[in-house]
Amino acid sequence: MLPSFQLLRPRTIEDAVSLLAKHSPEVQIVAGGTDLLPSMKQRLFSPAYLMDIRGIEGLQRVRVVPGYGVEIGALTSLSTIEDSSYIATNYQVLREAVLAVASPILRNMGTIGGNICLDTRCLWYNQSLQWRKGCGFCIKKDGDLCHVAPGGKICWAVWSSDTPAALLCLNAEIEVADAQGFRRIPLADFYTNIGDARMKLGKNELLTRVFLPESMSGYSGSYKKLRMRDSIDYPLAGVAVAIKKKGKQVQDARVAITGVNPAPWLITGADHALIGREVSEHDAMVVGELAARTAKPLTTSLLTPEYRREIIRVYTKRAVLQAFQAN
Amino acid sequence: MSDFSVIGKPISLIDAPSKTTGQGKYADDLYMPGMLIGKILHSPYPHALIKSIDASKAEALEGVVAVVVGSDAPNKYGILPVGHDETALAVEKVRYVGDNVACVVAVSESIAEQALELIDVEYELLPAYFDPEDAMKAESDLIHDHRPNNIEKDYHHVFGDPERGFAEADAFVEGRFIANEVTHAAMEPHATLAYFEFDPQTGNEGRLIVQSSTQVPYYLQHKLSIVLDMPMQQIRVIKPLVGGGFGGKSEIIPLEIIAAVAARKAKAPVKITYSREEVFWAHRGRPRTIIDLKTGIKKDGAITAVAAKVIQDGGAYCSYGVVTILYSGALLGALYDIPNIKYDGFRVLTNKPACGAMRGHGTVNVRFAFESQLDELATKIGMDPADVRRRNLLQPPAVTVNGLRVQSYGLPECIEKVWSASQWTQRKGKLNAGNTGPMKRGLGMACSHYVSGAANSIIRSDMPHSTVNIKIDRDGGVIIYTGASDIGQGSDTMVAQIAAEVLGCKIRRVKVIAADTDLTPIDIGSYSSRVTFMNGNATLRAAQEIKNKIASAAARKMNCAVEEVNMRDDMVWRTGKKPSSNGAHAEDILELVDAPRALSPETGESPLGTVREVSGRVEGQILRGSLQQKRKDEGPKDRMSFEEAVVTAIEVNGALSGTGSYAPPTDARGGKHKGGGVGPSPAYSYAAQVAEVEVDEETGHVSVIKMWAAHDCGRALNPVSVEGQVIGSVWMGLGQALQEEFVWKDGLLMNAGMLEYKSPSSVESPEIECFIVESVDPEGPFGAKEASEGSLAAAIPAVANAIYDAVGVRLRECPFTPERVLSAIRAKNGEKKISMTGGVDPTNPHKLREHGGAVVYKGKGPKRHEQDPSRKAAVVPGVTGD
Repeated sequence: MLPSFQLLRPRTIEDAVSLLAKHSPEVQIVAGGTDLLPSMKQRLFSPAYLMDIRGIEGLQRVRVVPGYGVEIGALTSLSTIEDSSYIATNYQVLREAVLAVASPILRNMGTIGGNICLDTRCLWYNQSLQWRKGCGFCIKKDGDLCHVAPGGKICWAVWSSDTPAALLCLNAEIEVADAQGFRRIPLADFYTNIGDARMKLGKNELLTRVFLPESMSGYSGSYKKLRMRDSIDYPLAGVAVAIKKKGKQVQDARVAITGVNPAPWLITGADHALIGREVSEHDAMVVGELAARTAKPLTTSLLTPEYRREIIRVYTKRAVLQAFQAN
Repeated sequence: MSDFSVIGKPISLIDAPSKTTGQGKYADDLYMPGMLIGKILHSPYPHALIKSIDASKAEALEGVVAVVVGSDAPNKYGILPVGHDETALAVEKVRYVGDNVACVVAVSESIAEQALELIDVEYELLPAYFDPEDAMKAESDLIHDHRPNNIEKDYHHVFGDPERGFAEADAFVEGRFIANEVTHAAMEPHATLAYFEFDPQTGNEGRLIVQSSTQVPYYLQHKLSIVLDMPMQQIRVIKPLVGGGFGGKSEIIPLEIIAAVAARKAKAPVKITYSREEVFWAHRGRPRTIIDLKTGIKKDGAITAVAAKVIQDGGAYCSYGVVTILYSGALLGALYDIPNIKYDGFRVLTNKPACGAMRGHGTVNVRFAFESQLDELATKIGMDPADVRRRNLLQPPAVTVNGLRVQSYGLPECIEKVWSASQWTQRKGKLNAGNTGPMKRGLGMACSHYVSGAANSIIRSDMPHSTVNIKIDRDGGVIIYTGASDIGQGSDTMVAQIAAEVLGCKIRRVKVIAADTDLTPIDIGSYSSRVTFMNGNATLRAAQEIKNKIASAAARKMNCAVEEVNMRDDMVWRTGKKPSSNGAHAEDILELVDAPRALSPETGESPLGTVREVSGRVEGQILRGSLQQKRKDEGPKDRMSFEEAVVTAIEVNGALSGTGSYAPPTDARGGKHKGGGVGPSPAYSYAAQVAEVEVDEETGHVSVIKMWAAHDCGRALNPVSVEGQVIGSVWMGLGQALQEEFVWKDGLLMNAGMLEYKSPSSVESPEIECFIVESVDPEGPFGAKEASEGSLAAAIPAVANAIYDAVGVRLRECPFTPERVLSAIRAKNGEKKISMTGGVDPTNPHKLREHGGAVVYKGKGPKRHEQDPSRKAAVVPGVTGD
């Protein structure tokens, strides 16, 4: 059962940020609700106020700004992005990642903003209150230690959404609003890699828009996701690749992983390994090795960390080859 | 099947509209004025004494009506007479994380939930047992005091001369297999509404009414009577629509008893509905099983002997455990002709939720091991796996070495069907020619079988296992009163079809009243695939009895012998006088006499329902009576409608009812050895399957491309329903084969929910090409046998054998998750070892695996006893990649 809360329903960004300023930190923002509501039933969140932002006008669309890029409202549903032919043509890796999220029904409800801000997940955390009592709670919620890394005082809950890996490949920026106004930051600077303080979003702040630069349009892309079921499941490992070719050679390349660290992560050095090359299986394997070395999976899920790291290696190789071989 | 008018037809299930429109009521849909909601407090400890429970703060919360604890109903119960080891709520001791400690009854669910937080329970920790092989060594702190070494039951059977059999073998293989724990995951969580009627004489609480999601209303009535100290006839159990059971509702689940006890204490109706997590704790699924198996074979493929040692990790209570461990041994027989069998079975108690009966009860895990090992033997003697199976067929009628009687036996035809459809000879072992990529394909075959009901009921007696009453009144409606519990498998439709076939009436005349202990005669429940065979036979006999009455009255009317009376399609006629056109159907006869204008201009036929409109009156019965009178005077004398025949019979008999019952024949009840009562069945279903899989050698991911599944159900009373059951069984088996398993850590179930317990979605459920084989059993109703369970077991070894065909690794631990498959492939290819399976080699699993991570009980949560085996073995994992 959901805990009781007071529902706030702002109609404008201004209303929303003023409500945040008034009620934070007792307010929880909900958009699609596909992730938050089950967590509330598990008492991972029991906010006094739940602010439903779906009624805010103007944040539900993909808007092309010629000469600049694309602006996506934070409330745009994942299925809207999936259906956008402009995104499909110009930002292939994002479409691939969106298609890998959960199932069609959940993509109708889930939003890009929610996917960017998704809570980190851990097998020891995403459990009912009763279960967590039986286990002894953990550092991320109600407890003082981590079951994943014994003695550890750092939370290793893992980044568990698909689209941020693609957005990192596309040099996305995000816009954040508070009562003082708007600020824009690169998405790469948004994440902390700390499981229980996952992103740099203040309690008074609201994610409003995502920007994809035009310079990144036209990259071929690929997203590979490890999960036990090809529907519903969160990523146990994910790899996004965006490649721009000049002739037969790679002109630019970006690779990011998700599902294995507390933040989605750009693989440094992947570009150097690929630029100027006609990518061979060996080149792709080298990038896979880089990605596997970057991945730090722990026992946050039912598949073993060793396996998930191996899959990062294999999927990176495959995603690089696929993106390279795409048009 | 031209001989039949109703059976053998793919008709829609008669309860389909109410389910698809939402009109039908499941237990959680039920509501009563003044109804309260119950919420259960569960144990956070795997094994602990309860020192005290203080519920005073909870009771003081506004809206809380009562708090129920173990001492409110301390009588012990259990589904098996030998296993009465449960109480409604824990008395003195809790035995698993999730065990039931107290129940709050309140005016709303949220108040009940709040109140749970206010109950103080003081525990004293005990060492806990999570691995059955460890649990068997325990000498103190037993889970149940009356079960030394935590062994619920062990059996040691020898049939024939296994030693000589192995000596005669040209080859043998032995190995350990592990099948991990799975659960039913029925769509509907358990729910129960219980309330008392007032005694009209005393004003005190009187009869108890319980409406519950159950497969076994009669057993529930029986156990409620034990726990509440009430006579059974003062208890009425009603089964509403049930959203799937698969065995998980085939015994008494704690909430059913708790709701009744709570209703008594709160003096008001109480409803309890489990959360999904509670369903996982209630469990009663298939136990984690260790199988040490040895099979001997001759060069010509003849099996000479089988020896199996089976250890089942049964959880904290007996449940069906004694039956499960017996099925695991008994069903080594009756599939193939095996002359010598040795079986040692141990049902072991551990501090985890109780395992019980689950689709394919007892046979599935051992069948996985056996059919896998049979393929190993085939490789060893250089014989095609299909031929090895053909070489070991029974020659029915036969009685197996362990006393199982086999009469109908469609296995040979099942094998031929899937062998031929999968193009086995052309494709097996040849699917990867020239393929240098990582995706490899393979084919695998396996067989299985299952009982059509247990020949001996849980509570042994000579009373019938099923009784069915049928009433036909002057309205021409056929009402069947059956105790059979339709849990989605279609038993209501089955009895309707059988009755309609026997009576020669249309199915729409038939109404089924089922599974209400006040209204319907006893049927012992929907489990062990017994309902079609047993309740079907009882229905057949009841219908036959009533048909005889109708036929003899009709014979008198038509001036002919009873043998000359034919009944079919709502018509009754003298032999040789069959009405020829469609226009002669029952309603149409009536209309033609009185109302030819009601014929449809489009079709020239009269649509159903116009009869009542002919004179603008709606008193159908009177009108029909007058019509019938008119026709009696004026109509033809050598044929009549079903309704006319019914009226004629009522005129003769005064009332029309029939009753039938079924008890399995004595010669099908098995051998006299200890435990010989489990396994015997009046008939066995047979199944053969071929799986085609694709294995990704770089990731270990296995996808099933297609399954060919043949099932011998004796006679398909409703082919579309049979196909649904077979396909559902195979899909469920694929879940256990590839992705479903309980994951444990120190007695904590890590995946008690549908997100982390990976039941396949539609995406992972491949095409199943289904072949129905009809061996026509001599004792089944119209020759029918079971169809809902027998196909499950073959799916797992078929996939295992197909993986071997694809990539050459023999997996002996299921499910075949990608990490297990990849680990085996890497080992086979001599690649660098990566420990990705928690230290257990899936090709040679020697121990049960726990989830990684570390439970360090230093936080705010509960501790564990320092002698707890899991504490001593605490593993501290490193951070990979460092």
